[in-house]
Amino acid sequence: MTRSNQVLQELYHLMSLTRALDKVLGEHDGHWHGLEGEEATIAGVYHGHRPGDVFAPHYRGMVSAALAKGADLRTVMAGCLGRNTSYSKGRHRSDICGPPEFGLIGLYAGSLGPPLGYATGAALAAKLNANGDIAIGVFGDGSSSRGDCHESMNMAVVMNLPIVFVCQNNQIAISTELSGGVAGSIAARGAALGMPGIKVDGNDVIAVKDAMDRAVARARRGDGPSLIECETYRVAGHFHSDAEDYRDQDEIARWRKNDPIARFRAYLISREILSGDDLDAMDAAVLTEVGQAFDAALSDPVPDRSDLAPDGEYARAPA
Amino acid sequence: MSRMTFQQATVAAIADEMRADRDVFVMGEDIGRFGGPLRSNAGLWEEFGDQGRVLDTPISESTFVGAGVGAAMCGKRPVVDLMFLEFLALVMQQFLDAGAMHYYSGGTQRVPLVVRAKFGIGPFHGHAYDHHSWLMNMPGVKIVAPSNPADAYGLMRASIRDDNPVLFLEHMALYHAGKAEVDRSVSVPLGKAVVANAGSDVTVVSSALMTRRALAAAKTLAAEGISAEVVDLRTISPLDEDAILSSVRKTGRLVVVSEAVKRGASMNDVVALVAEQGFGDLKGPVRRLAPPNIPTPSARELERIYLPDEARICDEVRASLAV
Repeated sequence: MTRSNQVLQELYHLMSLTRALDKVLGEHDGHWHGLEGEEATIAGVYHGHRPGDVFAPHYRGMVSAALAKGADLRTVMAGCLGRNTSYSKGRHRSDICGPPEFGLIGLYAGSLGPPLGYATGAALAAKLNANGDIAIGVFGDGSSSRGDCHESMNMAVVMNLPIVFVCQNNQIAISTELSGGVAGSIAARGAALGMPGIKVDGNDVIAVKDAMDRAVARARRGDGPSLIECETYRVAGHFHSDAEDYRDQDEIARWRKNDPIARFRAYLISREILSGDDLDAMDAAVLTEVGQAFDAALSDPVPDRSDLAPDGEYARAPA
Repeated sequence: MSRMTFQQATVAAIADEMRADRDVFVMGEDIGRFGGPLRSNAGLWEEFGDQGRVLDTPISESTFVGAGVGAAMCGKRPVVDLMFLEFLALVMQQFLDAGAMHYYSGGTQRVPLVVRAKFGIGPFHGHAYDHHSWLMNMPGVKIVAPSNPADAYGLMRASIRDDNPVLFLEHMALYHAGKAEVDRSVSVPLGKAVVANAGSDVTVVSSALMTRRALAAAKTLAAEGISAEVVDLRTISPLDEDAILSSVRKTGRLVVVSEAVKRGASMNDVVALVAEQGFGDLKGPVRRLAPPNIPTPSARELERIYLPDEARICDEVRASLAV
């Protein structure tokens, strides 16, 4: 599959943006769930979808997914800072809960797994509306053990729903390594359920994008769900200030050499699509943009008593 | 006007909403050709099945209720049949999330979802548990429990039109227990209790089957010269605080009747409300009539001892007046 230079550039941009978020937000908040090493999976999965498509991202990727869908950077930053100007008005953390007005299904009560059911419902809505929209449900290797994951995939096949299930397999769930949490192959569950299930190199953004394109096209055609397991690695800690004394440092060092951004840079340079200088300039510009958005959000007002619940507990019928 | 059972009225309300709004659809286990347990969806398959709006699901309660949440997030108005309230434990996370979405989204996300559940003692000696009180502690969720066919019709229509997640309780002892007049043009709002029997000596607050029993008790008590006012909550959450307080203001006495076990029962919120805001109106202690803190027993004899009945409601009212 040949890609336009435009698409390749956008993919790199999303990867660079994801790394910049890590730098800026990680520095600010020790509890930021870092993404180092998983940028190719993030970019390949979330790039280039329709406004009506719905994402239920893993929390490690929520912000990038929201931005890929068109959410405003500064407003999302305000959500990480608990500012009044955020989409949630300071009521929830935008790093784990994306704005629904952009088709994001966030982690509302923080439990992993149920959002896959919500994504399945979004796919059902798209099918009932027959509008060609799709849903993308993303889960980690950890969440792949949830009953919700099995139930959602089973139900999506039974109902022939337009959904793509993506396992962002970073091989560790907080401290539980893949072998301690997951039996067998995640991708092979596709065959058991009667849907395409493939494993791709999650550090190769083009491989991820190719797999997504096929699965998305299949869903839009009405041919049903697919499962893609993106094998990547959490170079980052579970959270930014994680001491990580439970980890194999040699393994981390090995995977750091398989850095998805470095790999994609080499690809773009070798194909003469972008030069090293172009890429450096893009990285610098993105980092500046994220830093400025963060600083701007930092000076936004914090909520006060009058912001606690001005509309009460319930949604009221539109006037 | 036509005469309907509780079950017929509930299904008629769903069918009327499905005719009025293409976004309404139903989903659950065995609700298609089978018609749903206790005929909970009877006739919907025949009318709406070929439109793809009557969806049988795998036995995956968490996920089909979750799919209801997701579809509602996208603007559909799903009516999901959980079958029995005993399965509420399987969908607690979904209710917690769905109830939080409107607030957490800054007010943009609406979740117009109805989850139906049959509960209570009934002809089958099974699935009787009344666990709805678990949801009292969940912001953003509504709980509806009609006591008669007319309210079942009106409250179901209101629940489908509501933009919040609603647990709609269908009592199995009321389900096929006789027909009553249902006027399809009457709307019944959520959040409004009704004085099911006006009285002046004591306020009895109840819902669903307990309202039926409280009304029978009121009749017996009237013969003794005791005037009991029965307030049927209809919506258990949010409580109609004004209706409760104004009745207690009038009578000065309160008896609450619960089918859920006493500890943690939703009815305790009625008591707390009156203690907080109506204490000065009370002429004596509040009395709570509820099952003991054990699971619903199966044998008819034990069930009879376990659950508040007409005679015990009468006793509680008399005791309330004796102080």
